[in-house]
Amino acid sequence: MIKIENLQKTYRSGFLMKPKVALKNLSLHVEPGQVYGFIGPNGAGKSTTIKVLTGLLNFDSGKVLVNGLSPRDAKSRRDIGYSPEQPYFYDYLTGKELLKFYGSLVGLKGDELNSRIGWALELVHADKDWINRRLRSYSKGMMQRVGIAQAVLSRPKLLILDEPMSGLDPMGRRDVREAILELNRGGTTIFYSSHLLSDVESISHKVAMVVDGKIVREGTVDEITDSCGVEYHVRTRSAIALKDLPEGVSPTGHPQECVCADDNARDRLLAFCLSHGVAVEKMDHKRPSLEDILTEEIARAES
Amino acid sequence: MQSLRHMGIIALNTFRESIRDKILYNIVLLAVALAVFSIVLGEWSVFDRAYVIKSTTLSVMSLSGLLISIFVGISLVQKEIQRRTVLTLLSKPISRVSFIVGKYLGLLAVVAIHLLILTGIYYVILFITNSEPSVSLLTAIYLIFCEMAVVIAIALLFSSFSTTILSALFTLGVYFAGHLSDQLLEQVRFASRMGELHDASSVLLEKAAVVIHAVFPGLYRFNVTSYVVHGVALPDMYLFWNSLYALGYIGVFLAIASWWFSRRDFL
Repeated sequence: MIKIENLQKTYRSGFLMKPKVALKNLSLHVEPGQVYGFIGPNGAGKSTTIKVLTGLLNFDSGKVLVNGLSPRDAKSRRDIGYSPEQPYFYDYLTGKELLKFYGSLVGLKGDELNSRIGWALELVHADKDWINRRLRSYSKGMMQRVGIAQAVLSRPKLLILDEPMSGLDPMGRRDVREAILELNRGGTTIFYSSHLLSDVESISHKVAMVVDGKIVREGTVDEITDSCGVEYHVRTRSAIALKDLPEGVSPTGHPQECVCADDNARDRLLAFCLSHGVAVEKMDHKRPSLEDILTEEIARAES
Repeated sequence: MQSLRHMGIIALNTFRESIRDKILYNIVLLAVALAVFSIVLGEWSVFDRAYVIKSTTLSVMSLSGLLISIFVGISLVQKEIQRRTVLTLLSKPISRVSFIVGKYLGLLAVVAIHLLILTGIYYVILFITNSEPSVSLLTAIYLIFCEMAVVIAIALLFSSFSTTILSALFTLGVYFAGHLSDQLLEQVRFASRMGELHDASSVLLEKAAVVIHAVFPGLYRFNVTSYVVHGVALPDMYLFWNSLYALGYIGVFLAIASWWFSRRDFL
């Protein structure tokens, strides 16, 4: 569906056209049927990548294929739906006029166009009352819903969404999450960027983490979090002296609690407890969240 | 075929955008008011009343057409970029050439409707004031339309790579250069024939006048008001050749605008 290899993009700004490299040899592959989350801090290159995929930005070097075609070819956008970050539309149109306009651009007309508009509005849980109002009176959440509705009108094979949940209230976020999952169940591949990592963790088949224009992690949420190891938090019934703590086990500040850095440290601590008659009251394993890993990667990139 | 359809859809939306724009109504109302005022001017003037009404109304048509072409024309592309509506539009399977040509055709339709309305008012005024309404006046109106068609293409060309204010200034510059280039060349050649130009800077001036005359569209060709008002016949095939002339410039300007727009990044 999407194939990016060694993508390089440089922006030039100011009178002297000072260059700033936005994407540095970025590579990723999105297979058909996936919900692919694209995460990273502000300015990492998420929107730049998405705009390259939709043909809005040219790129310096690398290979980019969308549905097997270069994004420079208008035909590559036949099976794509795209909603930009904080979508803006023609405010002199009503919601319905806007959807008719975009629908006609993707080849829909007559009854088919009307029924497709109805389906799209239902998908994003849009209130039918406000669809006949001019867009200048719409709230941010309404705009976001119309943005997704216009993107899915052609029932695209690939849906690209840039921050689809930003600016939405919890109900709105839930509606968008459900819409993404419903479209995916119908066979649509979804590629989306988001700052809301809890949402990304809950709906993505695969995730790529981009920091400073480079992919630093890619895989399923489990693969990414597993690759960072699992910590074990152990609470004993009696305190263990600091000097007796096995290798890889560190104190937490509480006399009866300690943290094992990995599986081996856990085994060593349990062996110590058995041999010294220390009862284990509770043991939790804790995986780092995507947020923890992203924060760590950002700190690494900055250093 | 698909591209033509896209151009039509974008043109229709541009037309809708323009007719919901307050600027357009202000210009149209001003033009109508000035056309009606030409009746009063005709009464006050020491010249022939029919002559004053005809020349004033044609000038109003030309001026209001120019205002619409420039001020609505330059904002068409810039507004799409500034309001970021271009992101959604160009992510659809349409080419950037279709976008530019569609925008052009939409505004051309607006100017055509504007001129049509004024033509209706114009003939009503001529009938009311018994000022010899003749079909030949349509020739002048058609050429005003041709001129506006070129001016819209110029405005679109500049707005494809420049800011709104600069686009307005550049378009006005080309408009005046296009109207004055003929006179400038004539003046320079006359001075040359009279032996007034002999130093290096004078030769340079003559060459500059020749280049300006050759490069800028000769918009003076489309101003035939004085011929039509005085009932002077235009040369044979004048309309045909000048229509072709306008089409040639429109084609070149839109091709450059499309080429430039295709290279642009949209952030």
